Amino acid sequence: MNDDFIKLLVRKRIIQIFVFLFFALIIYELIKIQIVENISYLAKSEQNSIKKMEQQAPRGVFYDRNFKLLVTNKPSFVAIITPTKYDSKFDSLLENKLQLDSGYIQKILSQSTTSRFLPIKIKKDIGYDFIAWYEENSDKLPGISYEIEIQRDYITELSGAHAFGYTKEITSKQLQDNKETYSYGDIVGSAGLEKYYEKELKGQKGISYILVDSKQRVIGKYADGKHDIPPVKGNDLVLSLDYNLQKVAEESLEGYRGGVVAIEPKTGEILVFASSPTFNLSQFAGSISPETWQTLLNDPKKPLFNRVSSANYSPGSSYKMVLALAGLEEKIITTSWTIGCGGGLLFGNKFFACTHAHGSVNVTRAIEGSCNTFFYQLMLKIGLANWAKYSRLLGFGSKTGIDFPEDNAGLIPDSNYYDKTYGEGKWRKGFLISLGIGQGECSVTILQLAQYAALLANYGETYKPHLVKGVIQNETQNYIPLKFKKIKVPISKNTFDIVRDGMYRVVHGNGTARSVLIPGITIAGKTGTVQNPHGANHAVFIAFAPYDDPKIAVAVLIENVGFGATYAAPIARRIIQEYLGLKEQNIELVDTTKVN
Amino acid sequence: MRVNYKIQDRFDFGLFIPMVFLLIISLFAVYSSTINHPIAGDNFYKHLIWIIFSLIIYFIIFILPRQAIRSSALWIYSISFFFLLLVLVIGDVVFGARSWIRYGEIGFQPAEIAKIGLILLLAYWMSKQKENISETLTILISLAIGFVPVLLILAQPDMGTAIVFVIITIAMLFWNGLDLFALFLILSPGVVAIASLFGWVALLVTLVLVAVGLIYFKKNIFLSVTIFIFNAIAGLAFEYFIRFLKPHQQIRIASFIDPYVDPTGAGYNIIQAKVAIGSGGIFGKGFMEGNQTQLRFIPQQWTDFIFSVVGEEFGFIGCMLILILFFIILWRLLKLASNAKDSFNSLVVLGVFIFIFCHFAINIGMNLGITPVIGLPLPFLSYGGSSLLSVIVLMGIVQNIYKNRLEQV
Repeated sequence: MNDDFIKLLVRKRIIQIFVFLFFALIIYELIKIQIVENISYLAKSEQNSIKKMEQQAPRGVFYDRNFKLLVTNKPSFVAIITPTKYDSKFDSLLENKLQLDSGYIQKILSQSTTSRFLPIKIKKDIGYDFIAWYEENSDKLPGISYEIEIQRDYITELSGAHAFGYTKEITSKQLQDNKETYSYGDIVGSAGLEKYYEKELKGQKGISYILVDSKQRVIGKYADGKHDIPPVKGNDLVLSLDYNLQKVAEESLEGYRGGVVAIEPKTGEILVFASSPTFNLSQFAGSISPETWQTLLNDPKKPLFNRVSSANYSPGSSYKMVLALAGLEEKIITTSWTIGCGGGLLFGNKFFACTHAHGSVNVTRAIEGSCNTFFYQLMLKIGLANWAKYSRLLGFGSKTGIDFPEDNAGLIPDSNYYDKTYGEGKWRKGFLISLGIGQGECSVTILQLAQYAALLANYGETYKPHLVKGVIQNETQNYIPLKFKKIKVPISKNTFDIVRDGMYRVVHGNGTARSVLIPGITIAGKTGTVQNPHGANHAVFIAFAPYDDPKIAVAVLIENVGFGATYAAPIARRIIQEYLGLKEQNIELVDTTKVN
Repeated sequence: MRVNYKIQDRFDFGLFIPMVFLLIISLFAVYSSTINHPIAGDNFYKHLIWIIFSLIIYFIIFILPRQAIRSSALWIYSISFFFLLLVLVIGDVVFGARSWIRYGEIGFQPAEIAKIGLILLLAYWMSKQKENISETLTILISLAIGFVPVLLILAQPDMGTAIVFVIITIAMLFWNGLDLFALFLILSPGVVAIASLFGWVALLVTLVLVAVGLIYFKKNIFLSVTIFIFNAIAGLAFEYFIRFLKPHQQIRIASFIDPYVDPTGAGYNIIQAKVAIGSGGIFGKGFMEGNQTQLRFIPQQWTDFIFSVVGEEFGFIGCMLILILFFIILWRLLKLASNAKDSFNSLVVLGVFIFIFCHFAINIGMNLGITPVIGLPLPFLSYGGSSLLSVIVLMGIVQNIYKNRLEQV
């Protein structure tokens, strides 16, 4: 045996002794706690465990632009059952008390995928009479309990469904992506402003340490709540929406399919954001039942569909100012360029109709009388490239950048698009003619139309359209206005003046929307009547007022009803009238019974 | 050399079978603690796939030629070093530590690969320096191989893995014949520092022990006094050093000494794990029947606290089974390390032994509340792809060494 080997043996012994000692220590400890002290640990695990509980934070509330409260929170009671402790003999009694269908409880319990040791929600929004009955009999009702949840409360008469959006219980997909922030059962913003401003609104969950028994029954607070962290309410949103205006818009849209957007041109603040038909947000306040959800999804009128910023429409004649601006700004035409309208244009072997024979018209008169023939000709003159360029300058064909999850870009076809669709060289100029009157393959959203109206109103300057003006921080209660990007369209004031003059004449001259006239208010507008494959024409009207110092720009679109002047314009008129505060004047041209 | 190998001569079932049993127990425990969990519900299937994948790698390593392990040492170390740097830049933060590199769905912890690199490179370096093992330069370079990654791992910060690196490095030096005085020199300040946490009495007692040790080694008086003063400073300064730690680390250290200092925070897991294990009794509450586990009193129980799942649901019997299986593996490893003819092989196997023993001891100790909560997985049992793979890879390397043990270098 050499020296080295002895040393190795010694080292091996040292390690062996170390290992032995450690195993002995562990076995000693295991015998101590699992065998000798088992009873006391069993008791601890059965009766007296500290459990960390998360407490829902109240979401931030919504105010309108005048700090009128629109959406707030309310407590609500939820009946819960813990399957391991519950006896199914109580099924019928409970179903009776909670007004549930027979067999409902077993159905919910069998569908649940969570641990049977954890409570399962049976019914939300239960009444005080149930709570009173339960409190009296709770010791005879094992496994049954209730908890308090905070849910949304829609306290005004507004629907606001599409703008406000709704909250839902977090899906497992969302949970996977945000493990650090959320946990199972959390309520998150799932549509509209609730979704877009989720980070501001959600607040900070609280943590409380409670003593519970093995069946999750609360025995009391741990250490009198000394270690608890109270939940922090989310930040409040001050919307740019105007309560009264939104209400007028929603009322006016009742029974129609369509949407209204009104914007303050100088700031980009959205005053009205209404889509119809709408739905009742309070159905979502707790967690929506699958049946209600299916009903909403399958409703042929598609109430969940946001027609304001998701739907695509052809803009129709309301688009004519785009061509006018392009022609004038590119110096392709001047106000002295006139055409003679004999009721349409024969191009190749196809006849493109006008509403009637306008005679000799220049650009101002063509807007005033909505002369198609003029714009067919103008379209051929300025060409597709200029048309697409000015469409984009005026905000079409791209997302508006609104602070809202749904922001459809629409479609502004250019030569690339036609090459792709029809094959290179296989499309002819005739394809373009209908683009000149906002028909054909171009599509826009109502939101884009409103932004366009705002740009026309304010000589090409505005801010990104937005629904939220600012945030009230919960900690400080300070109001912090949000900043939005400025938009400036490089078109000269002179060009705008000519086009705006045409729009002024639409209402105040010999135009298509004289019925909109409100004494004392100068309004500029443009009607549109959009042919579409789904039936009767869509009615469109865009407007701004007052003409010299615009305070509001409006876009209205009603699906499948007919003339823009007949259906869309009166709604815009009501909104303008409401906003500019001239309600007291009696207007004879339009039925105003609904307005006040 | 024998002409005809029996399968037992090429493949050590004493290492393989206990490992397979531990993996099977692990599947039960992960299933029980995650299957009803809202976000960890598919962990069981992921775990199963990781086990199968790791075992395939295990057999691939087993059939590799003899030289492959030795020649890959520097490579594995360098690559893992690169990843340890990279993770500090592009890593994902998981539970407060920047320890994960992620590419799409796939992610791994570089520190886990680094453990393999560390063991192989230390063994490679030390086995080449057999003649002058106790020279200061050799020791310093060995310490550098071990401690430079430690700095990177502490930057994440991942205290548990850093401690394992330090222990592996020192243990391998020791195994390679580092004399007792040098070992005493390296270890004593650490022991004194930890003792200082338990108060003045503990500090004084350890300092007296250090003095007794110094007298035993009979070095000259000047050196002995210097070492003693250094130890005393280490003990006194540690308290001061702790103030520079992050608050959550301070609380962890305090909770180790008394879990009830912070029963809702750092001490919470220790108390809950102990209650789970203690309430399991002799036979346990039964599979899927443990209320502590099923009610999720312990967050992420399927990772570092998997032992408490077994303790609660399978009781003392289940715990003893795990201890016995680990004991067999550790025993076989130590025997193989001391019988190996080649010092590289011996050092690698010893490194793997220390790796498994350290994880085992710290993890089970933490579940029982006798070591601090420093976040180390229990080998073969804890859920977690990278750590499972690294330990099975190490076992594969040992099996490869076993296969070739009778051949001379």
